Amino acid sequence: MGKDDTSTKKRRKLNTTSSSDNNAKQTPVDIYKKVVEFEEAEAQLRSADKDAALFKKIYQDVRQIFAEIAELKQKGTDEAKEKINVKRVEASLHLVALKKLNRLEKVRTRAGREALHKEKQRVDSTHLLLQNLLYEADHLNKEVTKCLQFKSKDEEIELIPLEEFYKEAPSEISRPEVTKADEHQLQLARLEWELRQRRELAGACSELVASKECVAAAIAAARSRLDALSPHLKDVLKATKPLQECLALRLDEKRDEIRAASLLPPPLFLLYANASAYYDALGANNVVVGISGDEDEAKRLDQLSNVESELVVSNDSDSDQENNYEEPRDKKKRHHRGTKISREEKAEAKKKEVLKKHPLNVKLTVKISEGTALNLIFSYMIHLKIVVVKYTLELSLPIIGVSAADVLNGDCILNELYIGDNGNDSPHPATSYLLNAAGIVEDFNYFIPEVGRPYIWAQRMCGLDFMAVTGDEKKSNIIQPSQSLSVVSVENFIFTLKKRLKSRVELMKELQNLESGKIIPEKSLGFPLRLSGSLIHWQSVGWNEYSQPTSTSFLISEGQVSADYMLYRAIITRQSAKLVAFVAVSSDYPKKAPLFSLTLNWNGTHTAGTSDDIRDIERIINTNWTNDGKKSTLTTQMEKLLTCLDILLETTGSLEFPPDKVMFQPVRGRNRMKPYRFIKQGTGVFVQY
Amino acid sequence: MLDKIFYNTVLCQTFSPCGKYLVAGNIYGQLAVFDLDNIFNPVIELLTPDYNKPKHIHTLESENQVCSLVSTENFLIVGSVNEILGWNWKSVIHPKLGKPAWTIRIQPKSVIEKCDINYLWYSEEEGKLYAGCGDNNIYIYNLEDGRLMSKLEGHEDYIHCLHGNGNQLISAGEDGKVLLWDTRTKKSHNKIEPYNNSKVARPDIGKWMGAAALGDDWIVCGGGPRLALWHLRSLDAVTVFDIPDHGIHVSFFHDDCVFAGGAAKHLYQLSYSGDIRVELPVSSTTVYSAVLRTSPHKVLTIAGSSPEIDLCTTFNYRDQVLHFR
Repeated sequence: MGKDDTSTKKRRKLNTTSSSDNNAKQTPVDIYKKVVEFEEAEAQLRSADKDAALFKKIYQDVRQIFAEIAELKQKGTDEAKEKINVKRVEASLHLVALKKLNRLEKVRTRAGREALHKEKQRVDSTHLLLQNLLYEADHLNKEVTKCLQFKSKDEEIELIPLEEFYKEAPSEISRPEVTKADEHQLQLARLEWELRQRRELAGACSELVASKECVAAAIAAARSRLDALSPHLKDVLKATKPLQECLALRLDEKRDEIRAASLLPPPLFLLYANASAYYDALGANNVVVGISGDEDEAKRLDQLSNVESELVVSNDSDSDQENNYEEPRDKKKRHHRGTKISREEKAEAKKKEVLKKHPLNVKLTVKISEGTALNLIFSYMIHLKIVVVKYTLELSLPIIGVSAADVLNGDCILNELYIGDNGNDSPHPATSYLLNAAGIVEDFNYFIPEVGRPYIWAQRMCGLDFMAVTGDEKKSNIIQPSQSLSVVSVENFIFTLKKRLKSRVELMKELQNLESGKIIPEKSLGFPLRLSGSLIHWQSVGWNEYSQPTSTSFLISEGQVSADYMLYRAIITRQSAKLVAFVAVSSDYPKKAPLFSLTLNWNGTHTAGTSDDIRDIERIINTNWTNDGKKSTLTTQMEKLLTCLDILLETTGSLEFPPDKVMFQPVRGRNRMKPYRFIKQGTGVFVQY
Repeated sequence: MLDKIFYNTVLCQTFSPCGKYLVAGNIYGQLAVFDLDNIFNPVIELLTPDYNKPKHIHTLESENQVCSLVSTENFLIVGSVNEILGWNWKSVIHPKLGKPAWTIRIQPKSVIEKCDINYLWYSEEEGKLYAGCGDNNIYIYNLEDGRLMSKLEGHEDYIHCLHGNGNQLISAGEDGKVLLWDTRTKKSHNKIEPYNNSKVARPDIGKWMGAAALGDDWIVCGGGPRLALWHLRSLDAVTVFDIPDHGIHVSFFHDDCVFAGGAAKHLYQLSYSGDIRVELPVSSTTVYSAVLRTSPHKVLTIAGSSPEIDLCTTFNYRDQVLHFR
C-alpha cells in the first residue's frame, strides 16, 4: 500500500509536470478538449480489467528495467552506460504508458460516479410520488368513513312500528311490493305516513283550542255578571244597619268574626270554635277568645290555594277524614296546606316560606283573680303544619325582686305544663324533613325565639295529634277524631293553665318574701317557736352554678333535677354557722315540692355525702315519709329547714348555741338521729321520727 | 317529693343460717331479702337486670325502724322499737311476710319515750339472746321459752353495741363507757372510759362509743373517741388506729385483723400494730353494719346511710353493689 501511495504520488507529480508541459506547449484549448474527449471515449471502450492487467505487466517491466539498470551501474562500464541510456528511454516509455492508464482509470471512475448519482435521484423522485399517493388514499378512506357515519334527521323521528304501519297506512303510501324489498324506500314511505298523520293531529289541536277559548269567554261573562251582583248585596246589608242598631243585634260583629273564622286554617278554626264555645258557656271571667291578623292577606292566600286545589286534592287524603267534622264553608281552605315549595327560589326566601305563618291567629286570654291574665297567641305554620304559641302576661300587682319576677317570666310558666312538654322541638315528626327539603340546616328549635313554641298541648287543642310520645296521658296514644280531641284538650288546658297561673302567682309572693329575707309562718302549722337562724340571702342561680357543688351531685345523678328547674341559692346563718341551700323548684310546683341540697359550714364543711346529720335534714325536707298530711310549700319547707338547723346546732352541745327547744333525747338510735320532729304536747316537744 | 327510699339508711344486716340469703333492715321498718345465689353462682342466661335488687321487701306492721337483726338456726330475730320479733326463716323467704312466730315486748319508761332494741347478740352455746336497748339496759332472754332471765343495768345512756366471748360480755354506750360483764354473776366487773383518755378522745365528735368487740386478749372499740385496741387485762390502749373517720359505728375481729367502719369513705382492715391492710371504698355516708361470713361462701356486706349495699367476696375490693330500693 505504502508503495502504491508513493507510486501514485510520483505519478501525479509526473502527471502534473507533463500536463503543465502540455499546456505550455499546446496553447489552444481545442486540442486539449479534443484529447479529453478522445480519452473519455477511449476509456469507455476499453475494458478496465484488461487495463489493470496491462498496468501490472508494465509495472513489472519497469521494475525489471530498474533492476537491470542497477546491475549495469554496478558494472560501471561504458557499455553499461549506454545500455543504461537505452534502458532509461525504455523505462520512460513505460512510464508514459502508465500515465495513460492512470488517466483512463480516472475518467472511468468519474463516469461511474455520475451514473450512480443519476440513479439515486431517480429513486428519490419515485419515492416522493409513492408518498403522495399514499396520502391521497388515506384522505379518501377518511371521506368514506365520514360518509358511512352520517346520520340523517329522519332517524330522530319516532315512527310507528312496522306492523302497525303496514296495517294502517293506505297501500299507495306503504307500497308493500317495493318497500318490502328496499329498506330505503320503506323508510321514505314511513316518513311520509308520519308526516300525514301529524298534519291531521295539528289540525285537530287547533280546533280544540278554539272551542276552549269559546267556553272560557262564556265563563268570564257569567262571572262578571255575578261580580256585578255583589255591590247590590252590600247595599242591601248597609240598609239593614240602622235596623240592627235599633234592635241592638250584634249580627254584624258576629258575622265579621265568623267571616274571619272561616278564613282560619282548620286547626285554628277548631281551637276558635271550641274556645268560643267554652267562653259562651263560662262567661268572660275565665276566658276571652278573639281573632287577629291581616284578613285581606288571608283572603288572598285563600284564593291562591283555591287555584292550586285541583292539583293537590288527590293526594291530600288525610284531610278528607277531618272534612266530615267541619263546616262545609271551611272545606276549600285546607288546600293551601299542600302548597309545594318551589325549589328555584333562593335559600332565604325558602326559609321564610317554610316558616310562614297563616296571617290570621287566635288570641286566647286566660284570666285568674286580681286582674292577672295570660294572653296566648296561637299561630299556624302553613308549611310545617304545626301550631306555635306566643304569649304575654298581664299583672295587677308590680313584682318586687329579681327571682320572683323570673317565675312569671319567659317560658317558665308554660314549661312542662304537661310532663315532658317543654315546647323545645316540633312535635310533628315530619318537620325536620321539611326543613331539610328546604335546605335549612338548623333544627327547628333554632327558630323558636322567632316563631314561638310548638307545645304539644297547643297541637292537641287544635285537634292535631302527631302520635308523639308524651307518656303523660294515655289518650295521646289512641287515635281520636280531632274534633273531640280538641274539645277535651281545650277544657283540660284552660283548667291546667289556670291552676298553674295561680300557683305561680303564689310562688311569686313566696319568693318575694324570701328574697327580702322574710319567712312568714303559716298559722295553721302552729310553730310557736322562735327560729334563731336567719335567711340572709336568696338568689336565683344558673344550672352551671347549681351543678358544681358536691351537695347537688346526688340529686343530679339520680335524675331528680334537670336544667329545666328553677334554681335558687339560699344562705342561712346562725352565729358562726352558715348553711348554704341549693333549691330546685320544679315547674310543676306545688304538685312537686322543691328539692333542697344543703351544705353546712360549721366545724368543717358538711354535706349529705359526708355527714348523716345533713342527710337526715335533707330527707325530712325532701321526702314526704313523715306523712304530716300537709301540703309542702316553699315557705313551710324553709321553716322546716330553719327548725332542723336549730335542732342540729343545739344538740351539738356547743356553748355557742344554748339549748332553746324542749327535747326528750338529744340523740337516739345507733344512727344518732336528732329530734327533728315537733309534736304539740304542752309547749311543744321535739322527738325523733 | 322524692321517694324516701333515696334517703334509705340500713342499720343492720344478717345472713340466713344456710348463707344463701342476706336480710337488711332500714329506718323505714323495711326488711329486704337478697338472694345471694344469683351473685355467687350466676347463670348468665337467667340473670335478670334486677339480680342485685331484693327478692322481697317486707314492711313491719308498726313501721318502726329496724334497729337490729340476728339470726339463729330457726329464727330471724328483728329488734325494732319496744319489741323483739322472731320469724321462722321459711316465712321470711316467702313473698308475703306473715305474723311473727313470737314477740317479746319491752315496756318503755313513759308513753312518749320509746325503747329501741339497738343491738342483738345471740350466744349459741347458751341459747340466750342479749339485747342492748335504748333504755340503757341490757336484757338477757332464754330463747327456749322467751323468758326474761336478767337485766344488766349500768349504762347511763342507751346502748350502741354488744359482743360476747366465753363468759364475758362487752357493751358500748352513748354515755361513752365500755362495760365488761361477767355473764355468770350478771355484774359489770370492769369498764373503760375512752373519752377520758387523751390518746383517743375526740371531744369535737363526742364521747359516745359506737362499737366494741371482744377477742381472747384484746378489746377493740371506738365511736366519738378514736378506734383503739385495748389489752383485756390491763385495760390499756395499746394501739390507737390512725384512720380518717368522723365516728366509728362498726368494729370487730376477724382472722387477726380488725375491721372498722363508720363515718368515713372506707371500711378499714387493720393489723393489731395499727397498719392499714385494706381500705374498702363504701357507698354509704356512714357505715352502720358490716357482716361477714366464710362458709359456704366468703362474703362481706357493708351497709349504712345509702340505698346501696356493698358486697365483697374477697374482702379486698368491692365487687358487687346491691340496691335496697
